[in-house]
Amino acid sequence: MSGQFFWYGQPGFVVAAALSKILVFVVLFALGLASLLTWLERRQSAMMQDRLGPNRANLGRWRAWGILHFVADALKMMFKEDFIPPKANRFLFALAPILALAPPLIVLAIIPFGAPLCWGQMQETVPLGTCVRPVDLQIARLDVGVLFYFAFASLSIYGATLAGWASYNKWALMGGMRAASQMISYEVTMGMTVLAMFISYGTLEPGAMVAQQGPAPWQWGIVRGVPHFIAFFLFLTAAMVETKRTPFDVPEGESEIVGYFVEYSGLRFGMFYLGEFLEVVGSSALMVTIFLGGWQIWGASLLPNWAHVLVSMLVWGAKVFLFCVLQLLVRWTLPRFRADQLMRLGWQRLLPVSIANVVLAACWQMWIH
Amino acid sequence: MAGDRQAPPGPRANVKMVIDGQPHEFPAGLTILEACQRVGIVVPFFCWHPGLSAPAVCRQCLVEIKGFPKPIPSCYTPVADKMEISTNSPKVLDVRRQMLEFTLLNHPIDCPICDKAGECMLQKHYFDWDARFARNDGSKVRKAKVVDLGRHIVLDQERCILCTRCIRVCNEVARQADLVMAFRGDRQLLTVAPGRRLDNPYSLNTVDVCPVGALTAKDFRFSMRAWELWATPSVCPGCATGCNIEIHSARDVIRRLIPRPNPAVNKYWMCDEGRLTYRRVHQDRLVAPMVAGAPASWDAALGEAARLLASARDKSPSTLGVVLSTQMTNEDLFAFTRLAAEHLRTERVYLAGAPEGWCDDILVSADKNPNTTGAKLIGGLTLRTATDLKQDLETGVLTALLLVGEADAVGSLGSLQSLVVLTSHQGAPVAAAQVALPLAMWAEVDGSFTNRQGKVQRLHAAITPAGQARPGWAIAARLGQALGAAWRYANAKQVFSEACEKIMLMSGADWGKPEIPVQLRFANSRG
Amino acid sequence: MATVVKIVNRPAGWKRRSYLWGTMQGLGVTFGHLMRNWPRNLLGRRAQSDIVTLAYPEEKRPYPPRNRGLHRLMKRADGQVRCVACMMCPTACPAHCISIVPEESEDPRIEKRPRVFQIDELRCVVCGLCVEACPCDAIRMDTGIHAPPSTRRADAILDKEELLSRGELSVAVQAGEGLFWRERK
Repeated sequence: MSGQFFWYGQPGFVVAAALSKILVFVVLFALGLASLLTWLERRQSAMMQDRLGPNRANLGRWRAWGILHFVADALKMMFKEDFIPPKANRFLFALAPILALAPPLIVLAIIPFGAPLCWGQMQETVPLGTCVRPVDLQIARLDVGVLFYFAFASLSIYGATLAGWASYNKWALMGGMRAASQMISYEVTMGMTVLAMFISYGTLEPGAMVAQQGPAPWQWGIVRGVPHFIAFFLFLTAAMVETKRTPFDVPEGESEIVGYFVEYSGLRFGMFYLGEFLEVVGSSALMVTIFLGGWQIWGASLLPNWAHVLVSMLVWGAKVFLFCVLQLLVRWTLPRFRADQLMRLGWQRLLPVSIANVVLAACWQMWIH
Repeated sequence: MAGDRQAPPGPRANVKMVIDGQPHEFPAGLTILEACQRVGIVVPFFCWHPGLSAPAVCRQCLVEIKGFPKPIPSCYTPVADKMEISTNSPKVLDVRRQMLEFTLLNHPIDCPICDKAGECMLQKHYFDWDARFARNDGSKVRKAKVVDLGRHIVLDQERCILCTRCIRVCNEVARQADLVMAFRGDRQLLTVAPGRRLDNPYSLNTVDVCPVGALTAKDFRFSMRAWELWATPSVCPGCATGCNIEIHSARDVIRRLIPRPNPAVNKYWMCDEGRLTYRRVHQDRLVAPMVAGAPASWDAALGEAARLLASARDKSPSTLGVVLSTQMTNEDLFAFTRLAAEHLRTERVYLAGAPEGWCDDILVSADKNPNTTGAKLIGGLTLRTATDLKQDLETGVLTALLLVGEADAVGSLGSLQSLVVLTSHQGAPVAAAQVALPLAMWAEVDGSFTNRQGKVQRLHAAITPAGQARPGWAIAARLGQALGAAWRYANAKQVFSEACEKIMLMSGADWGKPEIPVQLRFANSRG
Repeated sequence: MATVVKIVNRPAGWKRRSYLWGTMQGLGVTFGHLMRNWPRNLLGRRAQSDIVTLAYPEEKRPYPPRNRGLHRLMKRADGQVRCVACMMCPTACPAHCISIVPEESEDPRIEKRPRVFQIDELRCVVCGLCVEACPCDAIRMDTGIHAPPSTRRADAILDKEELLSRGELSVAVQAGEGLFWRERK
C-alpha cells in the first residue's frame, strides 16, 4: 500500500503533483513575475520616456540592469513601520490586504500553463490527446472553470472596500467605494464578453478551451470570427479596469484622494501592491488561455514529451509576459479617466456593445458553423 | 576770514535777469554761479568753492551771456540787470564737454584705487555732462604718484586737475602759503613751496576741497571707499569752538570726521587736531561695569555704587564729592547735577576737564573741552573748580567721591574711602575705583554741547556704544532710582527739555529734528 | 477678476469621439520609444538610444564654459595678487559675502592691494556679479568647483591664500593699454 501511494492516480501522487504545480506555477512563476513587474514597470516606463529608470540594485558587481530592485523594495517594505491609524478597525484593517492578495493567487488554479505531461512516456513523442496517463499542467481542472475565476476575482473587491472602510479616513473610504463601483460595473462586461467565447467553445473549462485552439495563430480563439475579435478587446479593456491601474486608477487617484490604501504602509501596503501586479499576471494568463491559444506552439508536439512540456511552458510564459508588457505600455501611455467617465464607458458603451456581441456570437455560431 | 566774500557796501539793489528763458530777480553782488545755485540750476565747476576766492581757472562753469562773443566763467562774473544767461544751450553743453575732455586728457582714470571715487567731482561731472569714450589713445603725461607733502597729506600729482583750491585753502584759511603750482601747460603740477612742507594746522581741509583724489589723508587713505560710509551730523569734541562735523562711520567704526558747513561757527573748515579726535573713541575703552576691579553686571555694579554713595551720604554729606567733566553733554551734566543736589545732598560739586592748550585766531580754542559753557550754565555759580578738588583731596576733606566723565589730573585718589567712577576709558581712576561704570562717548549718544559762543549744538549717535557702555543721563537715572529717586528718563530729549525748562540761559535752545545716518552711496558727490 | 470659462467641445463623429485611433497612435509613440531604447540599453549601447538622463555619480555632464564655480583670485606676472582692493565686488555683491581690508602696497605702481580678502561661500549666491564688477580681471568664478561641504561654518570662508592657490596669470589689459601703461616706451 505504502509503495503504491505515490503511483499514478493514487492520492499521494495527486497531492505531490498538485504541490509541485503550485510551487512551479504560483510561487515561482506568478509571484516571481509579479515581483519582477514592480521593477519592470518603472524600468519600462523610463525607457518609454527616454530615461534610465532604476538600475542601481546589485549584488556586488552583479547588477543585471537593476533587476534586484524588487528585492530591495521588498526588504524596504519589511522594515518600514507598520502603522495602523488609532481609530481604524484593527481586525478589518489587517484582513483587507489578505483579501486583496489571496483572490489573484487562487484564480491561478484554473489556468493551464503547459502541455499535459505524459507519465511514463516522457521520452517518447506523444500526439496530443493520445496519452494514457496524462498529468495536466493545471492546478485544478474544474468544469466551472472560468466562472471560478470570476467568482474569486470578485472577492478582491472586498479587499479594496474593507481597506477603505477600516482605515477611518474619508479619502480611503471614497477610494474603496470607487473601487467597488468600478469593479462590479466591469465584471458585467467581462462576463458578457467571455459568454461570447463560451458560445463558441461550448465549454467553461480552460484546459478544454486551449485544446480546442490550434497551435497556429489563425487557430486561436481571437480569430474565430468577428464577435470573438471584438470580445478580445472588450475583455482586455474590462480586465485592465479590474486591475485598477492607470488609465482606470480612479480608486487610487494619486493626485486627488490617494485611494483606499492611503493609510497602509510597510508590508501591508506591499500586499496591495503585489496583489495589483498579480491581477495583471492573472488577467494576462486568462486572456492568453481564452483568446491566444494558451500554451499551444506549432511543431512542439513532434518533440519528446518532456521537451514538448518545457517548450509549451516557455511559450505560455512568453505570451503572458508580453501581455503584461502590453498592459504596462497602456498604463504609461494613456491619461486617467474621470470617475463618471469610467462609469459611462462601462454601462453605456462597453456593456451594450458586449451584449450585442453575445447576440452576434450566437448568430455567428448558428449561421457560420 | 579772507575766503569770505562780503556783499559790497551801500544799498543793495535787486537786478532783474533771465536764466534759461525764465525771469529771475537777485540782489546785486552775486555771481552768476551763485544766482544759478539759488534757483536750482546746476552749473558744474571745479575751482570755485563757497568759502574761497574765485580764480576762474578750471573754466568748467562757462555759461553763455547774450551779447557776449565767448562763453563766460559764471563763478567770476557778477549778475547785472537785463542779463540773459543760457546754461544749457548746445554751445554751452559743447564747451562743457570740451573742458571736461581737456581736464581728463592727462588724468590717470584710476578710479578703482582712488579714494575719492564715489565722491569725486570729476567722476560726477563726467557722468553728468560727458559720458563718452576717450579720444586720446596715446600716452599720458607722467607725474609723481605718491608724494609725501606733510604730516597728514599724500599727493598724487597725476590725478591733480590744477584747480588751486588747496593752495587757496592754505593761503586764505590757514594763512600759510605752503602750496604752489610749478611749471606750465600739461607739465604744470602742484607742489610744496620751496623749503616748506604742508604742515599747517588746517592741512586736512585741502583733502576735503580737492575735487579729485589728488590729495589724500594718510589717516584715511585706502581704508574705506566713500560709498561704504554713513554720515551722521555731530559736533567736534576737540575744543570749545564746537566745529560742526559729519561723522563718517562704517559698521560701528568711525573712519573720519569732516567739517559740516556752518557760517556762524566754523564756515567750511575744521582743524587737523579736531579731525583726529575720533581715534580716542576706539582706544582703551572701558567696556563693562567693574566692581573691585572685576567685571560685573550693570545691576550689581549700580547696586554697589548706590550702596557706597548712600552710606557716605548718610554718614556725612559734606565729605561726599561729585566731580563733573566739561567733556560731558548737557544732558549728562543736568542729570548728574540733579542727582548730586536731590539725592546725594552734597554741596561739593566740582568741575574738571582737560587742561588748556594752544590756540589761534582762526578756529582753535585754548579750552580743549567742548562743553565748558554748558557745564557752567547747568552747574551754576556753586560749582567748585579742579583746583578746589585737588586741595580738598589733599586735605582729606573728601572721603567719598563720584567721579563722572573724563578728567585729567584730578589729584591723588588714594586718600578716599570710596570712589565711584563713570568714565569711558581705562586709566588710573578706573584702577583706583571700587565701582567703575562704562560711559558712552560723544559719537555714541544723542545729546548737545554748548560751545564758547553759547550755541547749543546737537550730537547724533553715529555708532553703537562700545561694549556695555551707556549714556551718562541713563546711568544717572538708574543711580537715582537706586538711591530712591522717583524720576526716570526715557531718552536724551526728555533730559534736554527738562534742562531747558529749569535753566534760564538754556531756555531758547532747540533739540532740532532727529537725524539718522545717511549712507554716502546715496548722498551724491560731496565735492 | 471675472472667471473666464473656456469651453472645449468634444470632437464630432463617433470615430473621433471613441478616441480609438488616438489611443492607437499614442501607444505607437510610446512603443516606438520603448523599442528604440530598450534593446540598445540591454545591449549596453546606450549612446545610440534616445535616453537623455545620466547615471549621475559615475557619469557627469561636462559643465558649460560659463559655469560659475568657486571663486579664485588671479595673479600678476610676478605672482602677486591682481586685486587692487577697489571694493567693487563687495559693493556689487548682493549677499555681502566678500570682505576686503585694503592696505598700501610698497610698489608705487600698484599702490593698493588687499591685506585680507575673504569670501564666505555659504553666503555666496553664485550670481557672478563680483566678476562682472571687477575692473581688473582679479576675481573669477571659472574653477568649475562646487563649494565643498564642511562641518564648520568657518571652513566655508575662503581667505586670500586659498583663493590665490587656484589663481593663474591673467594677461587682461586695462583701459586698452595694459596695467603698467606708464612704463610703455
